Amino acid sequence: MKNAATIRLAAAVLALASFARAEDLVPLKVELPKPLFVGTPRPIKVSNLEPQEAAANRPPVLVPAGTVLLSRGKPVTASDSYPVIGELGYLTDGDKSGVEGSYVEFGPGVQWAQVDLGAPARLAAVAVWHFHAEARVYHAVVIQASNDPAFKTGVTTLFNNDDTGADGLGKGTDLAYVETYKGRVVDAKGVVARYVRLYSDGNTSDELNHYTEVEVYGKPVN
Amino acid sequence: MPKILSRWLPLAIVTLAALWMRTRGLALRPMHADEANQAVKAGELLESGRYAFDPRDHHGPLLYYAVLPVAWLRGQRTLAGLDEVTVRMVPALAGALSVLLLGILAAPLGRWPSLAAAAFLAASPPAVYYSRYFIQETLLASSTLAAFACARQWLRGGRTRWAAAAGACLGLMLASKESAPLFALAALAALLAARPAGGPSMPRNPARGLGAGAAAALAVAALFYSSFGAHPAGLQDALGACGQALARLRGADTGHEKPWWYFLRIFTWQRAGGLVFEEAGFAALVLGGFCAALLRGSPLLRWAAAYSGLVLVALSAVPYKTPWHAVDLAPGFALLAAGAVAALSRTRPGRWAAAAAALTVIGFLGFQADRVTRPYASDPRNPFAYVHSSPDVLKFRPMADGALARSPGGTIRVISEEYWPLPWYFRGLSRVGYWDRPPADCDGALVVASADLADAVRSRLHGAYAESYLGLRPGFVCVVFTPRR
Repeated sequence: MKNAATIRLAAAVLALASFARAEDLVPLKVELPKPLFVGTPRPIKVSNLEPQEAAANRPPVLVPAGTVLLSRGKPVTASDSYPVIGELGYLTDGDKSGVEGSYVEFGPGVQWAQVDLGAPARLAAVAVWHFHAEARVYHAVVIQASNDPAFKTGVTTLFNNDDTGADGLGKGTDLAYVETYKGRVVDAKGVVARYVRLYSDGNTSDELNHYTEVEVYGKPVN
Repeated sequence: MPKILSRWLPLAIVTLAALWMRTRGLALRPMHADEANQAVKAGELLESGRYAFDPRDHHGPLLYYAVLPVAWLRGQRTLAGLDEVTVRMVPALAGALSVLLLGILAAPLGRWPSLAAAAFLAASPPAVYYSRYFIQETLLASSTLAAFACARQWLRGGRTRWAAAAGACLGLMLASKESAPLFALAALAALLAARPAGGPSMPRNPARGLGAGAAAALAVAALFYSSFGAHPAGLQDALGACGQALARLRGADTGHEKPWWYFLRIFTWQRAGGLVFEEAGFAALVLGGFCAALLRGSPLLRWAAAYSGLVLVALSAVPYKTPWHAVDLAPGFALLAAGAVAALSRTRPGRWAAAAAALTVIGFLGFQADRVTRPYASDPRNPFAYVHSSPDVLKFRPMADGALARSPGGTIRVISEEYWPLPWYFRGLSRVGYWDRPPADCDGALVVASADLADAVRSRLHGAYAESYLGLRPGFVCVVFTPRR
């Protein structure tokens, strides 16, 4: 009896929470760059690589009303401090065109880039564009949020498609995806954090890691 | 100073430097599809002793036979035992030999300019890159230089043995690649164009030398194309190969059509994806060498100008272009650049300016050669990494070994429209199959499918499979199915 009462109470709380959440949620509008490849040379049509139709009709991520873009112009650090191509500032400069001069290139192997929002915020979504001038899949993409700039404590993983554990952050079950001009928008689930860190381990075309743009959406905590 | 110190020691040092640039880290770059294909053929020859010339999809036999002594010296006897270092050592040695030969050939330009010619070739980015690349082009270039060096000795002294040696080198050219006649004809035409005033200085009994040369050329080419007598039909196929090569060069829609300025761009300046690859300083010296040849050049410089000009025009005129043809231009360009250095040393700024120009250009060429052969060796922005395999291909074999450890005796299936260089990486595995469309039974210990065929393959798999994604080359993604435990 006690168990049944507990379950009923939990169900009621969940229903109330979801009702409140649904009432406040609005579609996140992400500004998209123009597509660079008209007609992908080799369309990739595998189900857990995210079907092309699903990618084309990907439902918008729902975020609380009043959500704003927090990351524009914010400082960026990275495991590769001196990239050969581009600058770290390109990640948050708003240029998602994907053409030469709009992306930064990190060296081979596992690399990360980190955006400092300046203050803790309630995160709603993270959008990332790696490189969308060619059909390719980035390996071991992991997105984490934390208030610790070293990402040693209080780390929340928002996305992880590292199916081999290459990044050393544990294996993930999220789906790999083909880079397109639509980028990838990840639900941040309201986690409170000041820093967002993104990992990858090369891609299907080369061993390098690229970022055209990273956008972090949410609301300042105060 | 003894000649051995003043001339041969510096040339030996340049040659050794060239060898070092061509051999360090030979196994690091993933195998290109063409390299893998030819390495498997070489491995089969090594293992079984059998080879038959295939005029349709492959070039001459010399490359495969040249692997044998290197493999034997390294104690490799089978395809499974063969490795990247062994097969790539063949063009690497040929590339270093080209540097030595060019240094000898350039002697009429003077001691230091001839050394500069060798150094220009030693550091030339296309020459270095394709000397580390298991294809025929570097063998063709080195045998062309050897043929010319021997022919010049014959023209100077009239000894028949030099004519025979030139013929033998011509035979090696023919056994390298079916485009060899183009370079032989260009060299001959350039020889006529560059002959000293008053006509060519021919030996007293030219017919004897020409006959010996022709006989040697035919004998050497016939030996290789007939698989040393084991496959006589190869001789007939070889005769048709030149026609097929011409058709390919003129043909449209081969996928390798490029604009006429393609090679000029390779030897000057180009930018791709934020990276700049350039040889503008070298190109300026080459242009200076052309001018020097036209104004008051030595017969050698005039020959280099005529030969390079003819080859450049021929290669630029045909729509079919691949970057490895730049190797055929590099020696002539190196001679011309050295001619410019020689001419500069005779001007008012004098030797120091010439030395500074040569050293600057050599240093910059070396820097560019290092970039294209190491950090950007397989990067699609590298002008020489043409339709190159992705570094992901190095992950296929460990995955296959892991799959077979979990399922001993299992099958590796590769179901894809294109699958090279995977047969090289799966060499030595006994149960590997390749399909260009999904077979009825797709199950296996490891199933590699192209992205286009993955849906069809998945629908024919039984049981649960984990899936991951690896690239074959830029834009070509494979799905790897591994049975779940």
